[in-house]
Amino acid sequence: MQELEQGRSLWDDALSRLRKNKLAMISLCYLVVLIIVALITPWIAPYSYEAQDLILGATPPSSEHWLGTDSLGRDQLTRVLYGSRISLAVGFTATSVALLIGVLWGTVAGFLGGRVDAFMMRVVDILYALPFAIFIILLTVVFGRSLILLFLAIGAVEWLTMARIIRGQVLTLRHQEFVEAAVSMGLNRWQIIRRHLIPNALGPIIVYTTLTIPSVILLESFLSFLGLGIQPPQSSWGSLISSGVETMEEYPWLLIYPGLALSITLFSLNFLGDGLRDALDPRVSKD
Amino acid sequence: MLKFLLKRILAAIPVLLLVILITFLLIRIAPGGPFDRERQASPEVIENLNKRYNLDDPVYVQFFNYLGNLVQGDFGPSFKYPNRSVTEIISNGIPITAELGLYALMVAIGIGVVSGVIAALRPNTAQDYIPMSMSMIGICLPAFVLGPILVLIFGIYLGWLPVSGWGYQAYDKVLPSLTLGAAYAAYMARLTRGGMLEVLSQDYIRTAIAKGLPKWKVVLHHALRGGLAPVITFAGPAAAGLLSGSFVVESIFQIPGMGQFYLQAAFNRDYTMILGTTIFFASLIVIFNLLADVLLVWLNPRLRHSTLKN
Repeated sequence: MQELEQGRSLWDDALSRLRKNKLAMISLCYLVVLIIVALITPWIAPYSYEAQDLILGATPPSSEHWLGTDSLGRDQLTRVLYGSRISLAVGFTATSVALLIGVLWGTVAGFLGGRVDAFMMRVVDILYALPFAIFIILLTVVFGRSLILLFLAIGAVEWLTMARIIRGQVLTLRHQEFVEAAVSMGLNRWQIIRRHLIPNALGPIIVYTTLTIPSVILLESFLSFLGLGIQPPQSSWGSLISSGVETMEEYPWLLIYPGLALSITLFSLNFLGDGLRDALDPRVSKD
Repeated sequence: MLKFLLKRILAAIPVLLLVILITFLLIRIAPGGPFDRERQASPEVIENLNKRYNLDDPVYVQFFNYLGNLVQGDFGPSFKYPNRSVTEIISNGIPITAELGLYALMVAIGIGVVSGVIAALRPNTAQDYIPMSMSMIGICLPAFVLGPILVLIFGIYLGWLPVSGWGYQAYDKVLPSLTLGAAYAAYMARLTRGGMLEVLSQDYIRTAIAKGLPKWKVVLHHALRGGLAPVITFAGPAAAGLLSGSFVVESIFQIPGMGQFYLQAAFNRDYTMILGTTIFFASLIVIFNLLADVLLVWLNPRLRHSTLKN
């Protein structure tokens, strides 16, 4: 009986559900390891990032170079590790931009309602109809190929789904008693949004943040693959894959390892996102 | 139905106008003029060029002129290739991209719907898990990884299929279409499964089975019509994705379609070309979304009623 008095919060429930999902837990472990490795890459990378060894040239994986070397003799493992830094940095930064715009837009629209809501959601509808890949290419042409702008541009197009979901959440929340209680206690709108609405919509926010990161990473790799993203000597997974494709007949390992790194990361983020969705919102089943 | 159609078409027009306006203004604030060359041209030459392309008019005049030409199907001259018009370049590239997109869509719908239905018939068995894990792989492997891997396996190691080109050799269209369609096939499989599972548990399906109809007939005639709704909603965005996804596939397989032209225009800063192709793609996408909406309402009479009421 002692245990019952403890009580379980919704978060405890969600956590125990997530723990039971093996795929999601494996993904989470992989992502944690990946993030740590990416953070400490400058100290653990076996070779220097730009060190060329033209005499060595391209070699298949060996005990000295675990993932082989590229045609300039650069260590592929080092380059994949540094690529993970760029890809993850773009993923997290652009997602934060998307998160900020999406949550604010969605909460304000859902909370104010009426014409403001109709107008704001119409804007989202219109933006949904735009060809994003094409628009981002347009933006890189107009504003040049800087990394910061790449973050902003990707973030600026990925917030739409977030805005829709948050608005839906806020719409259902705002007529509940605890919000009315907050209003009657004299809280102003901003306080209600910040203290009551956003914390209560946190579940979906977490889920869709996790699902936005892979699509952002994918978009960045897509641009880098086309030569419009990260510029050499810097490299992301997308640009490594792109240069791997050029020589895949002779040196397939230059394509396969960055491709694997990217795919496994996308896998894990999607599995974790799905797992979080099942854990945080048991009403919504898969698909 | 006609009223609904008209309403949707009218709603699409401001979207298109906005796209044109945004693209037009973005191009105008882009740094570097279209005539910047390595060798500095004399002021007179630049002035003449500006006059020829009407760049000395106020921006709003330019915009309305452009809009006026656009209505007549004229995208203006290309800055990079002065002898060719953007309309001409687009009409050279579009049949190829359209063909690629069509095959990819066939791959997506063919593989996606069939495997989704198969999975939904026996949920939570191997018959469900195998296609669904395949689809997860399809979603997570981007085209620019999948394409080269397919080329490596089927083109180089096995030597069964040509590694590049479009219409030059037999079967050289197979790999590009598969590469482009795979991710969408995966999405469609998941959507079909979800939609079918929902429909298969409905009363009218039980009635149909109780009447003694063979199972395949129930699935094909009764369930599929309702179960495909999410697939059709997805078809609009999918068509859009197929178009922009074709950029990557065209560059992997060296296919001379729209995507190649667009990328070249982006690298060359050929502003009229970028403007023209962006507007062209955007209109296509708006049209596809419109078609998907109309198809959805046509397939689902209940939806038809509710959309007409308000």
